[in-house]
Formats: sequence, C-alpha cells, structure tokens
Amino acid sequence: MSSIIKVEKLSKTFESKERKKGQRRKLKTVQALKDVSFEIDENEIFGLLGPNGAGKTTLIKCLTTLLLPSSGKAWVNGYSVLDEEDSVRASIGCMLMGDRGLYWKLTGRENLDYFGALYHVPKAVRRDRIDKLADLLHVKDFIDRTVETYSSGQKMLVAFAKSLINDAPILILDEPTVTLDVPTARELRTIVKELNESGKAILYTTHLMHEAEELCNRVAIMDHGEIIALGTPSELKTSLALDDTLDLDGVFPAKAVEAVRAVGGVTQVAMKSKNGGKTSLSIISRSGGTILPQIIEALTHNGATIEQLRPKTATLEDVFIAKTGRTLDVDTRQIVVQRGESGGGP
Amino acid sequence: MEGHSHGFGLASPSWRANLDVVVTVLIARLKVISRYKGSLVMEMFLPVVFAAMPILLGVAVGGANAGQYFQANTGTSNFKLYMLIGACTFSVVSIMLWLVGYWIRREQETGTLESIYLAPARQVYVLTGVTIYSLLRALLAFLVSLVIGSIVFGVNLLEGNVLGAIGILMLGLLPLWGLSMLFGAFIMRVKEANSVINVMTWVVSFLMGVFFPIAMFPPLLQWVAAIFPPTIMNDAMRASMLNLSTFFGSWYISLAVMFAAALTVPLVGYGVFTFTGRSVRRKEGVGQY
Repeated sequence: MSSIIKVEKLSKTFESKERKKGQRRKLKTVQALKDVSFEIDENEIFGLLGPNGAGKTTLIKCLTTLLLPSSGKAWVNGYSVLDEEDSVRASIGCMLMGDRGLYWKLTGRENLDYFGALYHVPKAVRRDRIDKLADLLHVKDFIDRTVETYSSGQKMLVAFAKSLINDAPILILDEPTVTLDVPTARELRTIVKELNESGKAILYTTHLMHEAEELCNRVAIMDHGEIIALGTPSELKTSLALDDTLDLDGVFPAKAVEAVRAVGGVTQVAMKSKNGGKTSLSIISRSGGTILPQIIEALTHNGATIEQLRPKTATLEDVFIAKTGRTLDVDTRQIVVQRGESGGGP
Repeated sequence: MEGHSHGFGLASPSWRANLDVVVTVLIARLKVISRYKGSLVMEMFLPVVFAAMPILLGVAVGGANAGQYFQANTGTSNFKLYMLIGACTFSVVSIMLWLVGYWIRREQETGTLESIYLAPARQVYVLTGVTIYSLLRALLAFLVSLVIGSIVFGVNLLEGNVLGAIGILMLGLLPLWGLSMLFGAFIMRVKEANSVINVMTWVVSFLMGVFFPIAMFPPLLQWVAAIFPPTIMNDAMRASMLNLSTFFGSWYISLAVMFAAALTVPLVGYGVFTFTGRSVRRKEGVGQY
C-alpha cells in the first residue's frame, strides 16, 4: 500500500514575545515541531494524540499549507506542501477550528455553497452534494437557517459537512466530536469509519483515547513537538505488556506520591485532579502485582487515603504516561495557567 | 512529485471555477449585508451629514457673500456642490481604501480567514469578489447620497458632466484597490490597526482636499497631495462636474497620472500583499489575531 501523506524531518520554530511585569519584552524561540517523520497510507485512519501544546495543530497547519515549515519536507497526495500549495489544498477536506470558520449571517446551505465554490466544485455538482451531505449528517431540519441560530453541536455538524463538500481523497479532522452530544459523536465516528471504508485517508486528532482506539488504524503520540510513539493501538498497548498499570482514587499528598516513585519496580506515576479535591493516581510498574503491598504501604504511611483501587488493562493514555510520566490533563491545565498569566488573547 | 495523486475529488479547477469563486463571494457578501439593512441606509446619509457641517459653517461665516469668497479660491461659487462632491467621493474612498484591511480583520475574528486559506481558490479571486461587492456598495452610496444631498442643499447635479465624473471615479478606484491591498498587508502584519485607521481617515480627508482646494496647501504639501491617487480623482471629478480646471492645469496630465496610478498601484499592492501573506505563514500563520 502506498503512502498518501509523507512527512520527512519536519520542524517548525516560532519566535514569541515573553512579557513579564516590570521587565523588557524578550524574544523566545519555541520549537513547535522537531524532526517529525511519518507516513500515512491510503485508506488509513491515522490518529494524532497528545496534550495541548504537543504540536498536533502546528503539524496539521504545515500539512494544510497554513504554515510554512522551518525545515523538512512533506507531500500530500503526491504534492509538495512547499511548492504545490494549490494541489495540496485541493486534495484535502479539512475541519480545523471546530464550529468556527462559518459565516454566522449565512445559512448552513449558503456556507456549504460558498466553500464548495472555493474548492472549485462546479455549481450543479455542489447543489446535489449539499443535499446528499444534509441527508448523511441529518442537518436537513436546520440547514436553511442562519448559522447564528445553531447550537454548538449543529455548528460542528455543518463544519464537518464543509470538510466533505469537495469529497477530497484526504480528510483532516481536528477534534471533530468536541461539543457534540454522546449519540451524535458516536454517529459521526460511524460516518468517519464509512468514509474511510469508501477509500478516504483520514488524519484524526483527538484527546479522547477511546475515540482513537475505536477509530484509528495507527496512532502517533506527540509530546513537545516530537512523535514519542507510533504504531497500531494494540502494538502500543502491547509495548506495556510487561508493565502493570494500576489506578487509585483518593487523596494523595506530594510526599506519598514521591514515596511510591521510590518503590522498586515502579516506572511511572502520574496524578490527575478530580472534583472535590480528590485525585486519581496512575501507577505503572514492571513487577506486576508482587509490589502492590509496598505501593499501598508507601501511600498509607505518607498520609494518603485510598478510596478505590483498580488494576486495569493498558490504554493509549497509559502509553503516554509510560513515555512522559504525565497525564494528558496535566499539560492542558499548565497551558491554561500560562495563558492566564500572560493575559493573552484567544 | 513524490508518489502518485489520487485526484481532487469533486473539484474541477478551471477559469470558470475561478469566475465562480468571484461570483459566489460577491453573492455571499450581498446576502450578508442584506441581513444588516440599517447599515446600508446609514451609509447613504453619512456624506450628506458630513458635507452639511462645512456648508453651514461657510454660510455662517461668509453670509450672502460666501459663494463670492469661495470662487476667488476655487473657481466656482457653488461651494455647496463642491463640498457635497468632496464628501461623497470621500465616502467611496473610505469604503474602498480600508476594504482589504477590514476584510482580513473581520475574517480573522470570525475564524473564516483560515478556512479561505485552506481552500485552493487563489486569494486574488476571493479579493476580486469582495472588491466588486464593495465597489457596488460604494457606488450605490455615492449616487444616492449625491441625489439626497442635491435635494437637501438645493444644488443642480446636472450642470456639469456627471457621466464623465463617474468614469473618473471608476478609473480612480483601481489605484484605491492597490492602496487597499497595501493596507491589508499592513493589517495582516500588525493585526490591530483601529487607531491607525482613525488617524489615517483624517489624513486622507485632509490630503484629498475634501472641503477645500489643495492649492491652499503650502507648495511642498500641494505636490505630496497631488501624487496621492484619491486626491487626483477628487480633483478631476470636481473639475468634471463643476467645469473647473484640474490641479495639473490640463486634462491630459490628470488622466495620464490617473492611468499610470491605475496600472502600477494595484500591481505593487498585490505583490506586497502576497509577499506578506507568505511571510506571515512562515511565522505565526494567518489565523493568529
């Protein structure tokens, strides 16, 4: 099977201004992508996973020609993202900004017609295509109302329809199920699968591990601009086969977490906040259940309260924890704090 | 080329597809403005209000002899029509000059600029659609406000060459389009430019000589104003409608300067705009605002 997207040592650096109270602005270089290489096969659903700031969106923006890479090469549908931008754009259907990217004063149908024209879909073909998409996504009831009257979920469905208007061989979907209710999200995933079965290659980013496990043939896990793991979901999870993962709910002071880290055989410990001051602790160890008593002892002797203990089979999030020692949620929260501190915009 | 192409789905790039982009963008913009009816009406009354202030001031200061004093400096005693033309032309210039900048800003804020850059349609066709829309809107506002103003101030629009003035207006819009793209490139780079627009609006109206002849300026400033395309357009339109001589003295020179500006300024503007677009994509991307 030949590759429809090929990425070779793609890097992207940004210059950003750091503003600190009472200090002069300093220019800071941020490496958003670092020597990223991978290939996506035709007829494949390829998942990109990682916390906020991992570089997923930057990578997608480089592949869709919205950003020019600092170095490296990439080809989409056989066309270079550096030299054949128009052909790259014509090869992709894209949903990047969730429910943004629609004109709120136009109806859903008018939006689809507008973007269909921008994708060079002939007018007569557009008309039929919009009707077909309205049926497929069950948006017939509201497609002739202006977008400003839509709910978030309805906007997402029309944004998804927009990415399908040109029926391109490649579909790039960035968190397409965000803001959708559970049944609609499930239905959208079914449609994504069907689109893939009909011959489209799909690049899919998500925070939802179950979504990636359900949909993706292969997954790349990104962190700090690099791909830290790549393979089929089962390959990645099998890579943790020697390891045991354990989830605990309760209250865990910092010294208890440190004590667990010091237990022989424990490879990674990651903490996740929950509501009401409670936390959940994910522990990955190499010694199976044999060190469970030591773990419990280390926690209880250091002031931890264990409310629930669950041994579990490895998930893709455990793969991320095993590689980085962090959960996806931790990074998300850090980014929010940084934004708040700098008083940055949206 | 690396690997083989799987085609473009339903897309069929051609000159007709490019034309379709222009028409679809134009129709979409017309639909959007038709859903904001109040703003169109206000746009037609604004030049009349804008012209009323200096006209009333002139009457208050000059009394019955206002026209006589005005003629000594401008060549016409019809100061009401003189200022009405200036105000109406300035409203066209305002709409056209900030067109690309406002378009970029609006699309950035709504999140649709990235969607436009994701599509294979070239920006020049999208911009052409947006420009034709603005042109229609500006011409409608110009003609309606001129008619309303002539009724309000009691002036006869048909005493000069109105068709000639509209021809000059059409020719003068081409360099304005180029200037608009230069300004659009500036907005793409600096993002927020409301304060610049506020200041520049007054500078442009001053340089254009909206309410007075640029011959009133000191010599150096006169020539700075005279090479500014909107000034030449305003001067030539007044000359046509009020049977005056142009700033350059001869019709041929005014027309030659306007043609030269119509040919060069859009090319320079488009060149700078596309260069800036690529440079922004090399840095933070077009969606940042």
